[in-house]
Amino acid sequence: MDESLKKELETTFRNVLVSLPEDNRMVVAASEETVLSILSFLKNKGYDHLELISCVDWIEEKKFELVYILTSYSEKEMRKHIILKTKISREKSEFKTAISVFENAEPYERELHELFGINFKGHPRLTHLFLERDYKIPPFRKDFNTREYVKEVFDKIPFVEDKK
Amino acid sequence: MDRTSIKKWFKAPDKMGHKYSLWAVYFCTGCGIIEVPPVITSRWDAERFGVIPVATPRQANLFLITGYVSLKTLKAIIRTYELMPDPKYTVGFGSCPINGGMYWDSYNTIKHLDKYIPIDGWISGCMPRPEAIFVAVTHLWTMIDKGMATGYIKYREKYRYYRQNQEKLFGKLEWPPLYPMEDKNG
Repeated sequence: MDESLKKELETTFRNVLVSLPEDNRMVVAASEETVLSILSFLKNKGYDHLELISCVDWIEEKKFELVYILTSYSEKEMRKHIILKTKISREKSEFKTAISVFENAEPYERELHELFGINFKGHPRLTHLFLERDYKIPPFRKDFNTREYVKEVFDKIPFVEDKK
Repeated sequence: MDRTSIKKWFKAPDKMGHKYSLWAVYFCTGCGIIEVPPVITSRWDAERFGVIPVATPRQANLFLITGYVSLKTLKAIIRTYELMPDPKYTVGFGSCPINGGMYWDSYNTIKHLDKYIPIDGWISGCMPRPEAIFVAVTHLWTMIDKGMATGYIKYREKYRYYRQNQEKLFGKLEWPPLYPMEDKNG
């Protein structure tokens, strides 16, 4: 990864922490407000493919960490990964949608809405993607107790043999 | 044909017919489906046992459930099972359909498949070898001979309980009941 992009990021945006942990990898920690502008900045630089949006639940900090991973299809030199991280409030759990920059963010944001309960403002359809049931606490949050849930839902369904 | 089985053919031709033409619906779920291609192709050749895969449930009478069942898959399994004509036989593969297996505390994997559809037999293992599938098939033959593989009759008789269990998971199902929901005895 070249140092020039790192310098450019640090000078253009405020509150940005850029580190280069490995070859082919750059980690950018940004604040909530600057994420979308960093995404479009990197897209203009040639990192034109959003690989993944992921989420980490830091329950003790009361934060969700959104992770955007970018790479490039068009330029062979730039087939490297940029990992853009940002922390948002866990209680509010709201964020702006990235569809305006990367159109393929749509299913990822639906997934995060379903599994973490993050509400992406401006998303056209935040409906179920994988799951069939409604969950009181979204199942990938750390305070979702899977064992309790299984006891409440699956274990309470009776065997048909027991009926008469 | 074996000479000794002629008597059986005259005695119960329907059972003998069902026994040797177990057509399995090609329904893939979980990891066990990876065992099925070698079973049906030349290495193990399931056609020796009269088992061939068919494309649609309307032609099939054997349902192999080959692994863990998530809620979305369960919906498809119920629909497929109800589409199959009688008599139909179901076999659950491995530990996951029996009691959840390694998904024992998963939020989206059902734990006991026989709460939702009737299962005639289980194969143990994770995953079962192709030989185990043939043991299951030959075991199913004896069960059909003795009249023990009656899952489809049970489904008809206790349909309201099965449907109740299904609706406990999915809310209201979008297809109408297959059999009348009222109790025969009032």
